[in-house]
Amino acid sequence: MSKVMFIHMNVLISGGCKNGKTGFAQEVARKLSGNGKRYYVATMIPYDGEDRTRITRHREDRAGMGFVTLEIGQNIVSCLDAAAPKSTFLVDSITALLLNELFPDTHSGEADPEAAERCRVGLLKLAAGAEHAVFVTDYIYSDAMRYDSFTENYRAALASLDCALAEACDTVIELCAGTVIFHKGELTL
Amino acid sequence: MHFMIGGAYQGKLEYAKKKFAVTDDEVFSCTEAGGIKFGSRCINKIEEFTLWCVRNDADALEIFKRHRSEWMDSVLICQDIFCGVVPLGADMRAWRDMTGRLCAYLSSEAESVTRMFCGLEQRLK
Repeated sequence: MSKVMFIHMNVLISGGCKNGKTGFAQEVARKLSGNGKRYYVATMIPYDGEDRTRITRHREDRAGMGFVTLEIGQNIVSCLDAAAPKSTFLVDSITALLLNELFPDTHSGEADPEAAERCRVGLLKLAAGAEHAVFVTDYIYSDAMRYDSFTENYRAALASLDCALAEACDTVIELCAGTVIFHKGELTL
Repeated sequence: MHFMIGGAYQGKLEYAKKKFAVTDDEVFSCTEAGGIKFGSRCINKIEEFTLWCVRNDADALEIFKRHRSEWMDSVLICQDIFCGVVPLGADMRAWRDMTGRLCAYLSSEAESVTRMFCGLEQRLK
């Protein structure tokens, strides 16, 4: 591992599903954090036992890599309060975070129109306040489909968060079949 | 002609307007209801035009070839719709196919090809 010290660096990682984004992001966060504390911020809220079992396994895997897992499905900036100062955060994923914020009340099924803006403000605060932050999102914009207006609004909102983070981050990476494409900045880890 | 491609909501039009000093009045945005204005400085949402073509038995590629001289100095923008699973509906498959063939043609004719990703440009040509 490199002994280089990194000064406040934020990285956005996007790409299609099953491209190894999480594994790559963990590697980036591990190297950026050096000897500092590193947190894996899991935004997916588990719904059943199957989710729970999978999450427990992932938690153990990450503990071996020195990550403390925080489960934060909403109000993402609160992870700053839950962590030691000068920590590194891996937020996985923006996709799930937005979904949780859109439906704060899972029973009513009503989408909250303020959700995207709330996510944007929280994510940018986290990016500014963390020692390092790595954000994982999903690229869901290039298929030949006509979606219902709810899904279309969700895609537009997620894209607006991706664009805001891409602007704020030092490095923007697309993972394609496990291959790294740099859209902004670099990563010399 | 400058050709811009990218997924939905990636900032294609905003970038084209800034990069090529295109004003709102100079942008023609296609809709699935049909119609296209080839002399426009910028033609946006070409994928909507190809969808209309598929549903109305028109060949988008032939139409573009026929009007080549009219768009050779334009900025053309099309959504990348090529990365999902093969669509179940026959018209969606035909749409993807026709849009793909048109994009390949426009790329080959373009002076520059730019892909937008999260609001960032990626020069392809």
